[in-house]
Amino acid sequence: MLKTQELQINIGPQHPSTHGVFRLVVTVDGETIVDLKPVFGYLHRNHEQLAEVSTYIQMMPFTDRLDYFNSMANNFGLAIAVEKLAGIEVPQRANYIRVLMAELTRILNHAAAVAFMINDMGAWQTPLAFGMREREKILDLFEMASGARMMCNYFRFGGIVRDLPPDFMPLLNDLMKALPTFFDETERLLRENEILLLRSEGVGILPKEVAASYSVTGPVLRASGVPYDVRKAEPYSVYNELDFDVPIGSVGDIYDRFLVRIEEMRQSYRIVQQVIERLPDTTGGHINPAMASIGKQKALKPPVGDVYGRVETPKGELGFYIVSDGSARPYRYKVRAPSFINLTPIGDMCRGHKVADVVVILGSIDIVLGEVDR
Amino acid sequence: MLQFLENIFGPSWIVSLIAFLISTTVILIVTPVTFMMMTWFERRIVARMQDRLGPNRVGPAGLLQAVADGVKMFTKENITPRAADKWVHLIAPLVATGPVIFLFAVIPWGYGLSPVDINVSVLFVIAVSSISAVGLMMGGWGSNNKFALLGAMRAVAQMVSYEIPAVIALLSMVLFTGTMNLNKYTELQGGLPILGNTLKDVIPDLGLGWFVFTPIGLVGFMIFFICILSEGERTPFDIPEADSEIVAGYMTEYSGMKFAVFYMGQFLFNYALSMVASIIFLGGWNFPGIPQLISIAPPIGALASAVVLGAKAWFLFFVMIWLRGAFPRLRMDQLMAFAWKFLLPLALINILSAALWLTIMLWCTGDCTQNPWVFTVGGINPLGWLGNSPVLRQLVGFVLTAIINAGAFFWLLNVNRRPAGETPADLARDQAFGTASLP
Repeated sequence: MLKTQELQINIGPQHPSTHGVFRLVVTVDGETIVDLKPVFGYLHRNHEQLAEVSTYIQMMPFTDRLDYFNSMANNFGLAIAVEKLAGIEVPQRANYIRVLMAELTRILNHAAAVAFMINDMGAWQTPLAFGMREREKILDLFEMASGARMMCNYFRFGGIVRDLPPDFMPLLNDLMKALPTFFDETERLLRENEILLLRSEGVGILPKEVAASYSVTGPVLRASGVPYDVRKAEPYSVYNELDFDVPIGSVGDIYDRFLVRIEEMRQSYRIVQQVIERLPDTTGGHINPAMASIGKQKALKPPVGDVYGRVETPKGELGFYIVSDGSARPYRYKVRAPSFINLTPIGDMCRGHKVADVVVILGSIDIVLGEVDR
Repeated sequence: MLQFLENIFGPSWIVSLIAFLISTTVILIVTPVTFMMMTWFERRIVARMQDRLGPNRVGPAGLLQAVADGVKMFTKENITPRAADKWVHLIAPLVATGPVIFLFAVIPWGYGLSPVDINVSVLFVIAVSSISAVGLMMGGWGSNNKFALLGAMRAVAQMVSYEIPAVIALLSMVLFTGTMNLNKYTELQGGLPILGNTLKDVIPDLGLGWFVFTPIGLVGFMIFFICILSEGERTPFDIPEADSEIVAGYMTEYSGMKFAVFYMGQFLFNYALSMVASIIFLGGWNFPGIPQLISIAPPIGALASAVVLGAKAWFLFFVMIWLRGAFPRLRMDQLMAFAWKFLLPLALINILSAALWLTIMLWCTGDCTQNPWVFTVGGINPLGWLGNSPVLRQLVGFVLTAIINAGAFFWLLNVNRRPAGETPADLARDQAFGTASLP
């Protein structure tokens, strides 16, 4: 037997496929991974500390920067938490628009996630170009509604900042016509390409029990076979009025994660269809009249107490834990970031696989470093 | 031409020297220009696949983009890492690229346009193309960078593994044709598909007797083209420089002109091997009309033949770009398994087919009784019924080798098939994947 020596490699902080500033300390024996340790914190921006010196509404734009792919979903989380704490009612129309935006965000995020994973496997940017094409269309819609493509800052406590512009619905209907083809194309790509199957099947398996014990959430957890979704477990907004299913996998490998993502895009599509149907008949304005001006938003002083508000973002359960001392600023503010918690079992998933699998597994978890480091 | 030069310059060694200088100069000009065109072509085609425009600012349709890139490369800072082995780091790109340019010396660019006509040019191509692996290892080792080292190890393992099926595929063609001279290959591939030159007297030379139309040539071409992809580090085998895994492999620490030289070596290697594949399997410069053109007006025919061969090589390069735009890459172990479990056995069976074909073609032609190697079964020559007609023999050989090669191909596919739907994980997935309707 040849005597071999283990080699320690730093993948990152500057590396083409770490999806941000992130370091993986990988110990390899030849090409096989012996150990792997994720190191993060390069993007730490004092998000939680900032909250304690800001008013509640000042935090809204900061949540955009958590997971910059899904700013709408993050806004939703903070709005839910603070409304729960202060007991603010949300009009029906605002609720439906919120759900519409959250589900469009999910489609956008999963389209990009699938594309980036195939890119990490070495397909030279072609799938990325096709995934980004759909994402652009949704970003156009967001720009129309909120004025910004990525940092939307669209939600307010008690509703949303402004109603949908008149041009919004025709454009959305055009998009709805194009999307099913995109889902089918992506699924066919993943199901029929031999190399993709070779690279993804049986790689990076996360068993059900391990996933649950790491408190992983989102598509990663559902791919492992646990039917857990905050939209079903603790329905918020109008999700209990809408009809949708939760896709689950069985093995928990990369292949399952991406089948789950594609199926989730289809379910989101269903939800958006229902919202489009019901939106003309909704009652109430886009915001609760009691909170309708920015002055009222700034003057918000929730009663003493604490609250945990959570939503299902595309990446998993995003939770905001807020303690109020009755002043205009939160006493304590804590974010439960799905990217961060989903990233922790990466060592377990990678051990025993090859170097080339690390980046694909990382891509399949679908992290955004802005949310991991906060 | 030679006589004319001798009249002017006198001693023949001077004439040879001048002739070599001219052809060397032409090669050293043509190859970098080819490289520049290849980079432009690749970027435009991939851009087209990805819904983009690609380079279109410098010159007409961006054709001069490569010149701009060259200027950029020349003016870039040439960085050598402090801990690197300075000399090894410096020489590596030259060692990797030099042999590739040697290759062009023995390749016949067209009718009567081979710079050096040697009898063993196939052997030369095989031997010289392997030298660049040393350059890659030098680059990876000399950079003193872990990514570079990993990339170099991958590159060398990959090149060594894929050399074997490639050589065996070429060997079956050498057996098939009985020559190692690349010029001879083109001559042998005139005439009709499958039948080749055997009916030359009856039907005019169509220039379509390409070996790729025979079962042996088809399997050989398939194996050789896959090996080109792998040795030239093209997708889906671009593992040594997998940018999403190990940054840029052995080229990680290279910048400026040293990087450009590495890059040029790689692209020219692809082009040289595409040319070799076109010559050996795709009929070289043979194409309907070209043989006639050569016999009417040799200079124009030579030019046209060079264009035809170039078009074939560029087509193969286009296929490489197409694959690059469409496929993800394999993993190292899957790559090795593919070489050793699929390509190598198939190449060996192809050699068997070639030997069989040769036996059928040559068995007992001419004076049979004098041949001590011809054996008889019960006093009857088992292949005696074939007579002396090469057409009949060729057809029998075609059918037999087609059956053997197709059988081997599908058998190997079946043996190496992923156990789909059989592993417990697959069964579980088939049953359990779906949607859970939660309350």
